[in-house]
Amino acid sequence: MQIRRALSLVGVLAAVAIMAGCSRAGKPVLHVFNWSDYIKEDLVKVFEEKYGCRVVMDFYDSNETMYAKVKAGGGGYDVIFPSSYMVSIMHGEGMLMPIDRSKVPNLKYIDPDYTRFTMDPGSDHSVPYMISNSGIGYLKSRVPEVKSSWGMFDDASLAGRMTLMNDMRETIGAALKFLGYSLNTTNDFELAEARDVVIRWKKNIAKFESEQYRNGLASAEFLLCHGYNGDVMQVMEENDDVGYVIPEEGTSLASDDMVIPKDARNPDLAHAFINFLHEPEVAAENTAYIFYLCPNTASYKLLDAEVLEDPTVVLPEALLAKCEVIRDLGELNEKYTKVWDEIKAAQ
Amino acid sequence: MRRGLFPRTVTALCLAFFYLPILVLVINSLNGSRYGGRWGGLSLKWYRLLFSDERIWLSARNTLIVALIATVVSMVLGTAAALALHRHRGRLQDAHYALVFTPLVVPDILMGMSLLLFFVTIAAPLGIVTITLAHITFCVSYVAMVVLARLQDFDDALIEAAHDLGAGHWTTFRRVVLPLLMPGIAAGGLLAFTLSVDDFVISFFVAGPGSSTLPIQVYSMIRHGNPPVINALSTLLLILTVAVVWSCEKLMGRNYADSSRT
Amino acid sequence: MTTGSKAGRRVEWMLTLPSLLWLVVLFVIPTVLVLAISFRPPTPSGGVGDGWTLQTVLALRNPSYPVIVWRTLRLSAETALICLFFGLPVAYLMARSSDRAKRVLLLLVIVPFWTSFLIRIFAWKVLLHPEGVMKQAFAWAGLVAPDASLMYNEGAVLLVLVYTYLPFAILPLYAAAERFDFGLVDAAMDLGCHKFRALLNVFIPGISRGLATALVVVFVPALGSYVIPDIVGGPGGEMLGNKIAQRVFVDRNLPHASALSSLLTVAVVVPMLAGLALRRHRVRPGGVK
Repeated sequence: MQIRRALSLVGVLAAVAIMAGCSRAGKPVLHVFNWSDYIKEDLVKVFEEKYGCRVVMDFYDSNETMYAKVKAGGGGYDVIFPSSYMVSIMHGEGMLMPIDRSKVPNLKYIDPDYTRFTMDPGSDHSVPYMISNSGIGYLKSRVPEVKSSWGMFDDASLAGRMTLMNDMRETIGAALKFLGYSLNTTNDFELAEARDVVIRWKKNIAKFESEQYRNGLASAEFLLCHGYNGDVMQVMEENDDVGYVIPEEGTSLASDDMVIPKDARNPDLAHAFINFLHEPEVAAENTAYIFYLCPNTASYKLLDAEVLEDPTVVLPEALLAKCEVIRDLGELNEKYTKVWDEIKAAQ
Repeated sequence: MRRGLFPRTVTALCLAFFYLPILVLVINSLNGSRYGGRWGGLSLKWYRLLFSDERIWLSARNTLIVALIATVVSMVLGTAAALALHRHRGRLQDAHYALVFTPLVVPDILMGMSLLLFFVTIAAPLGIVTITLAHITFCVSYVAMVVLARLQDFDDALIEAAHDLGAGHWTTFRRVVLPLLMPGIAAGGLLAFTLSVDDFVISFFVAGPGSSTLPIQVYSMIRHGNPPVINALSTLLLILTVAVVWSCEKLMGRNYADSSRT
Repeated sequence: MTTGSKAGRRVEWMLTLPSLLWLVVLFVIPTVLVLAISFRPPTPSGGVGDGWTLQTVLALRNPSYPVIVWRTLRLSAETALICLFFGLPVAYLMARSSDRAKRVLLLLVIVPFWTSFLIRIFAWKVLLHPEGVMKQAFAWAGLVAPDASLMYNEGAVLLVLVYTYLPFAILPLYAAAERFDFGLVDAAMDLGCHKFRALLNVFIPGISRGLATALVVVFVPALGSYVIPDIVGGPGGEMLGNKIAQRVFVDRNLPHASALSSLLTVAVVVPMLAGLALRRHRVRPGGVK
């Protein structure tokens, strides 16, 4: 009797699962692998309706995590959003499909001013998506005497309430900039110096963290965080006590690009998605929502002046000169991995 | 003076320790303020947000599909294994026992890691299928152990009697052994189902595009989600758990020790 | 029941083969693969190279690893001991309670045991929040500095590990205590033994099986912890599981991840199999509890 009841429960559960499955079958599916909170979700809904498809999104928190997942047999994504240096690594590995320009007519809007940030200015296998920079997000009321310097991480009075990104190129890069070096250096002495700086900072931070700092800042769990400009500004929308500064020593700039992997299941839909995100209205709406700049010339005039004049979105020339784009260093990437390991292991 | 003050104090403290965090979650799920710590008035808005989040329901569906298949397959494999272990002796069963027992003591991360390497090596595309295969692998051992424990109390004379009355192997199995074993198999299946629904680490290693299960979804929400929605989800899952535990209590009486990990 | 006949032999194989094959393919082969890949070189692009090398295994001598291994062993051992310390009185009380109280207590212990493990961890993240009630109470009482954080340190990891594994320890302890004949304690007391000494000398040895099981079911999974130090741990609190995950999910260095996993496998499986071989000869299968 009881067994029969248990079996009927299993039957009901199975029926529920199957019904839930059926209602969504039939439509083509676009698998997207993106940074978290890096697209206005409503726009995805518009795309789904326009193309009669379903978009399934998975998220990652650093280029390295994304690459590892895709390499580990996590193929089957149609569109991915790596930063330029990762685009060149993936291209070098033969993982990317060439962009069919005829299917992306909106390429004509790409701002030539920003193609210098990418490794693929001709959009041969990648299309620029957003321009971002990293800096320091903080709580104005709790850190009133904030300085626009990476040296903030030496402030022991904030110990246990700060975070650095869990991203070797960004965090070692911040220390290199702090010391006045290039964040693409391969000089062993400079790297060793940067390592010691991060190890010193590590004593003051709560965590190496590239995602949770947003909730942490918003809820005052963390008082000062190393983060990306748009991410911090999204938090500002919710908590106006949050501020963002770009350290005067300079920082990293990135062009995050859209690519289609060779094993994409739905390349046509992928091209359509890329083209859609460069529709001027869509690009403007997306920028206004996620606070990253989409390098799309036709979208600028649809944006509020407030966004275009924001010095953390469009950097002033003087600061821009001190900033750098993270480059792929080929075999020498190893050096960063090694330094990162030493940092993580240090007591 | 049979029960001292010390055990009673410790027990009370432990229970408070168990339930305090859970209580905080439940209260916060009804808190209108986005961040715990201040009270923003009673509100059901997080539940509304939860029900409108399609991703959670898709991952819940994935979880259910995986758990049902893993439960059914591991019930069959595990019961057969338990019968073999109980009835037969010799080198084959010694090896078989070691093989069934070892997965129980291997940390999740090792199983996830080795299965990931295996799937990558044979170039299997990661997704729902690989998650299901992985879940069956760890569920088989649990089912086998629970059924085996049940077989210990089994009166072999019943089988002898059935044979004496002229029943064949298959008839004896179907008419005598299986009905008597059913509560054990059901307990094993329930344990397998729970473990599968709750597994995060192994699934995380072998998951592929769009194959997020509920725990994977919860993990990603903890990292970059809306915290009160997780509170609401937790509360619902908690209610579900209590319902399941309560119905097991009804279904299987008091024999919980059987379903605890060996 | 064992029949030497051909038919009996065939039934045995029919019952054994499905699980045997399944576990050989999806458990033994993958584990051997991990051991094998430990001796392969990594390629810079994140693949597994050709040929064999001792380089990866030798890299484990790098001074950063022993620190992590030691921390992992220490935290797991501390967790197991704390769980035993608190689990024993609970199990004792449960075993000596009336049937009704037993049922209620058991249910109360089992509910957290069955709740989603991620959610239990998340609950602590909420509870230990630096602007949360608990922290403010501590700060008000002058126990911690007003800007301090209760999270992201080793103490928080230990706390959540204990929280997660305590029910695992209580259940086998209770199962053993339930079978224990408390008349023995009374007898010892009748012979003039102080109650505490009676418990120590009679009860503890009497449930040694349960104690051993409780130790193992806490210590071994704690060794493989990954999510707990990941969510509530700080920058200096990595455990072996985090390192393995980092090698797989970030560095994409599979040989290195394999070498670390092999280390953990050897640490867990070898003593387990040895114990199993010993016990298998002493008791019938399934008698292990």
